[in-house]
Amino acid sequence: MMGVIEGTIVWSNIIVLLALGLTMTYITTAVPNFAQASFAVVGSYIALTLLRFIGLDPYLSIPLTFIIGGLIGISTYYIALKPLIKRKASIEMLMIATLAWDLILFGIIGAYSEILGSLTKRTETLFVFTNLDFEVYGLPGRLIVSTMLVLLTIIGLYLLLYKTKFGIALRASMENPSLAEAMGINVENTRLFSWFISGSLACMAGSILPYLQEIVPQTGYFLIVSIFAASIVGGLYHIAGALIGGYIIGVSESLFTYLLSMFFGPGVLVYGKVISLIIMIIAILIIPRGVTGSILWRRLEKWLNL
Amino acid sequence: MIKVEKLNAGYGKLQILFDVDVEVSSGKITTIVGPNGSGKSTFLKSLFGLTDIYSGNITYDNKDITYIPPHEKTKMGISYLPQTNNVFTNLSVIENLKIAGYILKKNELEERMNFALKVFPELKDILNKKAGALSGGQRQMLAMATALVRKTKLLILDEPTAQLSPKLAEVIFDKIVELRDDYNITPLLVEQNAKRALEISDVGYMFVSGKVAYGGSAKSLLEHEKFQSYFLGIVDDESQIGDNYDGSY
Repeated sequence: MMGVIEGTIVWSNIIVLLALGLTMTYITTAVPNFAQASFAVVGSYIALTLLRFIGLDPYLSIPLTFIIGGLIGISTYYIALKPLIKRKASIEMLMIATLAWDLILFGIIGAYSEILGSLTKRTETLFVFTNLDFEVYGLPGRLIVSTMLVLLTIIGLYLLLYKTKFGIALRASMENPSLAEAMGINVENTRLFSWFISGSLACMAGSILPYLQEIVPQTGYFLIVSIFAASIVGGLYHIAGALIGGYIIGVSESLFTYLLSMFFGPGVLVYGKVISLIIMIIAILIIPRGVTGSILWRRLEKWLNL
Repeated sequence: MIKVEKLNAGYGKLQILFDVDVEVSSGKITTIVGPNGSGKSTFLKSLFGLTDIYSGNITYDNKDITYIPPHEKTKMGISYLPQTNNVFTNLSVIENLKIAGYILKKNELEERMNFALKVFPELKDILNKKAGALSGGQRQMLAMATALVRKTKLLILDEPTAQLSPKLAEVIFDKIVELRDDYNITPLLVEQNAKRALEISDVGYMFVSGKVAYGGSAKSLLEHEKFQSYFLGIVDDESQIGDNYDGSY
């Protein structure tokens, strides 16, 4: 049971990091990014590459995956979205553009895994880092590192968004871009920044993921369901929504599936994503704008003067 | 200060304004009144560059600003406060003031914020309150205060007293007068509360069906038979009002 709880926390932490990025880019650019999960798989492969070629521990490669991830995020915005936004493309068009971008990334990841395999003489189309993990007082490294990453990300985002001039400008641009522009804020810069952070967090999460599960080039297709469910359940219009939704989906997916497997056998584990989808559908029906868009949340915010 | 000549503007193919001539002089309160759909708000948006301008000229301190984008106009000292969404509701009062002076240097920002709070001392006690939690009057004052942080010379206000109680509306009208008298800011406003707005104004215009139906001193507009008739709802033929305006006052 301890193993299940530990796995649940790590999985939830990863979903939170991924959902945070999705929500940020949705708020700033109004684009639901279908390539978000592929960013994570790119992160996994960056960590693998550094491990294979220079023997760098995947945990130590996190700063580098963070930066490369950020650059991938910016590239996505510049190559796939900005030209369309300039032509006043509809949100559906932009959404399809991210889908196309996801397919391109999938193709690149697939080809890269083959090339890497031919160079390392190993099977790189499927890999894990579980055998590389460390333990501190019986606690696995993935639990400690993923929790630390979530905490650092939340503290970092809080300090940035609430204590710096740029952060306030970012929040202003998220709420009302045209008014922000009238105040002299370069809204374009705030969008770029969101895409950088989105890519960074996703790749960072991706470098932890192989400590929890096997990675294959198609991993993104399984991940994306949980990421979207987390952002939608938490509320796509509030950064805190990603945090709340991430834990709701992460915990529900792991624990419910585990409980169901106790009754119906391990075959149920394959259908874990159904739990996320059911929760997402229920949330859309009851609270269409997610937890952070609910009346209760607004009352809580008012009460806390947030 | 600002002179509009033969302005034709609208949204895409939908023309709202037809050959509009308006002049706003420095140090005077100018109010535009008129029925719903007469193009008053579109006119203000056109001044700030938020509509499609088909023809005509807008000059500000003798500079042609007809096609200058909004953020450039902000730098020139023109502030536009729309009727709604004029503050960031998710930001606190102090954050709204800070962001209003985004382009200013730290020292200058402090100075401008202190100035804005001197004009609107009511905001001092609620600096950490979220703008979304403010009353209508407080929100309007915050919107006007943000304009002051931006070193505004011409303050364009779209229905600043809309949805406010008569008492709060009076506070806002007093502030508008104070801005003109004590801080050398030129207010240009559109108001549904036509009578009270014209009472505090120096110059008044009446728009009907996208055209200027009357322009002159606010007092003369208030006393104008057609204005009185119209706002009492007696006039049923809008063209009668337009007959009196020759484009000057």
